Amino acid sequence: MDETVYVNEKGERLDGRKVDELRPIKIVPSVLSRAEGSCYIEWGQNKAIAGVYGPREALPQHIQDPTKALVNFTYRMATFSVSDRKSPRPGRRDIEISKVCGEALANAIFLERFPNTTIDVYVQIFDSNAGTRITALTAASVALADAGIPMRDLVAGVSVGKAGGHIILDLNKEEEDAPDAVDMPIAILPRTKDIVLLQMDGLLKKEEWLKAFELAVKGCNQVYQKQVEALKAKYGMPAIEHETQKEEKAVPQKPIPQPKKPVEVKPAEGEEEKKERVEEIKREMEQQIKEISEKKKPKIEELKFNSGGDNQ
Amino acid sequence: MERRVVVPGEVVTTERKKIGRHVFVEGGKIYADCLGLADVNGEYANVIPLQGKYMPRAGDLIVGIIVSEEYSGYVVDINSFYFSFLSKEKLRKPLKKGDIVSAKISYVDEINQAELENVRVFYGGEIVTISPVKIPRVIGKNGSMLNVLKQGTGSALMAGRNGRVWIKGGNIPLLKKALRKIEEEAHTSNLTNNIEQFLKEENAKRENSTQNVNSGGI
Repeated sequence: MDETVYVNEKGERLDGRKVDELRPIKIVPSVLSRAEGSCYIEWGQNKAIAGVYGPREALPQHIQDPTKALVNFTYRMATFSVSDRKSPRPGRRDIEISKVCGEALANAIFLERFPNTTIDVYVQIFDSNAGTRITALTAASVALADAGIPMRDLVAGVSVGKAGGHIILDLNKEEEDAPDAVDMPIAILPRTKDIVLLQMDGLLKKEEWLKAFELAVKGCNQVYQKQVEALKAKYGMPAIEHETQKEEKAVPQKPIPQPKKPVEVKPAEGEEEKKERVEEIKREMEQQIKEISEKKKPKIEELKFNSGGDNQ
Repeated sequence: MERRVVVPGEVVTTERKKIGRHVFVEGGKIYADCLGLADVNGEYANVIPLQGKYMPRAGDLIVGIIVSEEYSGYVVDINSFYFSFLSKEKLRKPLKKGDIVSAKISYVDEINQAELENVRVFYGGEIVTISPVKIPRVIGKNGSMLNVLKQGTGSALMAGRNGRVWIKGGNIPLLKKALRKIEEEAHTSNLTNNIEQFLKEENAKRENSTQNVNSGGI
């Protein structure tokens, strides 16, 4: 058999993507009218719909937790989503994915605000081509935001791996079936970079793993941007420059020339001088605030609302 | 100033402000905890949610539906996590399943169960359910939107914080249209004037059409 070339000399993959390029992603929130929040996603060839119901009273009563809400994540693949008919009965794989994705989302939601309740998330996969658990999780996170459920951050995920000796982002089915393939789905909270889901199938050297992880974080931020854009587009607002983007900018490897984010203060109408003075005062105040907050930093750390205390 | 849409985990402000609703602090910055509109003009940093379930709060005026009768009272659906209970002691007339009541929430316990007071019974009319987070726009500043709706349609109107609006009399189809419009455009500014304009136009259209029918009939 001929050896498949997974990345050619030009740095192109089997489907023409670059090593660090995602498949095209399309996210549409609010597609189900009966669900409290929902999302349709197309990630390359993967297609899925996520629906969120609740928070609602958890029944039977003995599963209720009086300290927090439960997250009931249900991942199912349609019989026609793979080339051989999949048995509609939930198998070991479906149950595992439901569990890990549910736990990933539970880390992002303020569960303690809804005692004795359950948040039901149902994701149905209609078409699959590797990376469906990440597709499901990304869609579910947008659906949760669409349902208005309080969260620390959106959950953004991506899969990285190795095929033909190359570390690549967002593997498709062909690449996943490579003889030396490694598949590593990762989901993070993009703001804090907390890892909420990390699985790996195959073997990687330490250096390879670190390289893959770095690639995954970049990919997650791209996915996050898509999620934010989708949610904001619903209300006719362009996605503004984001925290994660800003941080990316700070990384010297990839300097993106972008205009400075305007400070959210209404400038005085008309006169230039007044504006300048306002700007000056603002800068001074920011300086002061910065100094104060730096001095008091340990105190603020204590005060913050259980931020990621139960993460990982 | 145009309010901007924020997603969960997005920075609302880096300035020092008091913590309002739907925000949380981490590392000295204020973040949004839900999809909503950032409001940082005042003393507080707030996020006005665009989606979400009704969370009962003490002092809220709600519209409930009687679900069933017990020996000493009635079970009321308040469109929240649990049903509430209404004692017969406070009622003058017996109620039946399906009756509409309005009530004030007197107390909410730690698992979000609500107790009711100041019960009023509504006879006739019907209920329109909209998203609970959009009720403030239906009421408007000091009830300005309610007045616009009442004048524009001639209906009696009662908006509960739990997303239920009781309506009776007047031009019901127009009122329903207007409520739907408010729900869809709740995140835009200058809504009260837009709705006033909309009602005026619709009423003018109706007058024209009735005139045409009359002239045609003669």
